[in-house]
Amino acid sequence: MILNILWMYHDLMDLYGDKGNLQVLKTRAEKRGIDVNLVTCGIGEPCSIKDYDIFFLGGGADREQNLIQEDLLSRRAEIEEAMNNQTAFLLICGGYQMFGKFYRDQDGTTVPGLAFFDYYTEASSRDNRCIGNIAIEVTMGGETFQAVGFENHGGQTKGVTTPLGKVLKGHGNQYQSGYEGFVNEQVVATYMHGPLLPKNPGIADLVLKRGLRRTYGDVNLKGLDDTFETRARETMLKRLGVLK
Amino acid sequence: MSIRLSLVKTAHSLLSKAGRGGSLPGVLALKMDPKFIEKMILPDKVILVSGTNGKTTTSNLIAEALRANGLSVVNNHRGDNLNVGIATTLASASDNQFHVQADAVVLEVDELTLYRQFHALKPSALVITNFFRDQLDRAGEMETIIRKMIELVQDFEGDLILNGDDPNVLRLADAASHARVHYFSVAETLRSRTISDEAGEGKFCPRCGKPLYYSYYQYSHIGRFRCPYDHFGEIHPDVLVSNVDFDSSSFTVDGTRYHSFVNSIYGVYNCASVLAVCRALGLKEEKADEVFRTYVLNEGRNEVFELSRPCTINLIKNPTGANEVMKFILEQPGEKNICIFLNDNDQDGHDVSWIWDAHFERLNDPDVKTIVCSGRRPYDMALRLKYEGLEDRVKVIESASEAIEWLDEAKLSSHVISTYTALHSTRAILRRQAGRHQK
Repeated sequence: MILNILWMYHDLMDLYGDKGNLQVLKTRAEKRGIDVNLVTCGIGEPCSIKDYDIFFLGGGADREQNLIQEDLLSRRAEIEEAMNNQTAFLLICGGYQMFGKFYRDQDGTTVPGLAFFDYYTEASSRDNRCIGNIAIEVTMGGETFQAVGFENHGGQTKGVTTPLGKVLKGHGNQYQSGYEGFVNEQVVATYMHGPLLPKNPGIADLVLKRGLRRTYGDVNLKGLDDTFETRARETMLKRLGVLK
Repeated sequence: MSIRLSLVKTAHSLLSKAGRGGSLPGVLALKMDPKFIEKMILPDKVILVSGTNGKTTTSNLIAEALRANGLSVVNNHRGDNLNVGIATTLASASDNQFHVQADAVVLEVDELTLYRQFHALKPSALVITNFFRDQLDRAGEMETIIRKMIELVQDFEGDLILNGDDPNVLRLADAASHARVHYFSVAETLRSRTISDEAGEGKFCPRCGKPLYYSYYQYSHIGRFRCPYDHFGEIHPDVLVSNVDFDSSSFTVDGTRYHSFVNSIYGVYNCASVLAVCRALGLKEEKADEVFRTYVLNEGRNEVFELSRPCTINLIKNPTGANEVMKFILEQPGEKNICIFLNDNDQDGHDVSWIWDAHFERLNDPDVKTIVCSGRRPYDMALRLKYEGLEDRVKVIESASEAIEWLDEAKLSSHVISTYTALHSTRAILRRQAGRHQK
């Protein structure tokens, strides 16, 4: 089996160690004997998005995010084709925001998003930046489990009807909100850095399965030794008082 | 005389007599009077050092270079660079009328503290070492720090001493229309490279947004860059270091040969900034060479403890610093064990994701036998290493003293890498463990 992963704007949208997510996807696939073809794509580079099984877009600082904005919007039709072609999407922070309707900054300027989904993001006042460790209860692919991460965002994302999880500790989509991220059959979008996948192999494996599905149908992934992963997650769950 | 000030001074002197430094006097001072620092009457020469990496070493070298020039200097030599540390340093050196008794004050100042205390400290010179991603959750993004500094230097009229090889730092020059701007720079060395896998920041021209062209990289995004469209980066350095020889740790500035205290490119940059300060202040630069030759790195920076085999400890706090420490470790010949203490307290930054931005894959070297992970987030560190294929060599020992005992009993040269809040306690354990071998 071969898994084709596209890492969009690898040179700009790589904040808070988000590239770790790709290392996890690659390693966990390879440990199951799946060959991984990881391709990066920068501003202005031609690439056939619909041919990839997994599309990854991380977060960036405001400056970087502004730099890629135009290029990303120019690829909307290709991304839509990928959506219709069953590509799996993993979107973190800025990547998450840009798939929504728009981003409105502090001065009231509205920056259009790709508008694949109805949610939108508004800049927060200085006082309610969402920063800190976060624990959520994820419901995804018929499974429910706990996940941990580190959130650090000023943007308040509103209008999400299908969140990735329920906040157990932390903020989530908005300051002190009850829900975090966005999920549907194809897309996992979240503010959780950490990076997200190393401590949450459950999410990683679900993304892998979704990526494999369009070519190979439902694939069973054999279990891996996740001792470090589990301990790291439990350390944080205990710290946050979620796990006794 | 102020009763408050005398209380603070008494606290400082009592604590010093009890063999304890610490920040209690500063805490007291700021509790009683939030404007305590502003009230201090400082000498004409106030040199502040800020930036991401190298603040402690640079400010100590500057202080020593000033002393070598015959000036009396007050400085926060232990790296207490937040409000309380600065208040403690100033209070302990002042008379009862708030007059700081010295010819010069040299302070390393945390980037965010600089923003708050800049006007209170009335600096005559500001030195900026570099800007890297650091402790992002506490500081917001690096961009925010740079913007705040730009705001600070807009009406600054003193000497602004900048690392001319860091595009992030160079942005300050564009904003500082009233300051006397001085640059230090290091010419291409045998270790410079034309490509970099570490350059996280500074890929684009801050003026026009187009890609910057580098003729060489020294480390991370530090190097010689220029924008072909608007000439950003085309500087005339006041201090240009050339002929860096890493075998003898020496380098040349304007025909004079200097000897660095440490054999690394960042040590050369530290020295270059000190020479730029000497030049800006009209001090004798050659006096600095003696300082460079004899400077002993601060506690926890290349400090060696004699366990069954030598054990070297280094502080890490961000990806760039960690990359440089790993390079240093791998340059040391022979097999070795490594122990990493990863903490996530306030001063470390609560977000440990920065370890994924650092090149820990470098530890995948046949000479690295075992990597012990300890501290408050040992499993996060273990996971980071696991994803570099180091799983079989990783060992988690949560207790710090057991981790050090393990290193000792392994009878192999070792390197301890520690984040800030684990440093002091780990050094204490190492000192105790080394003591057992002296009996």
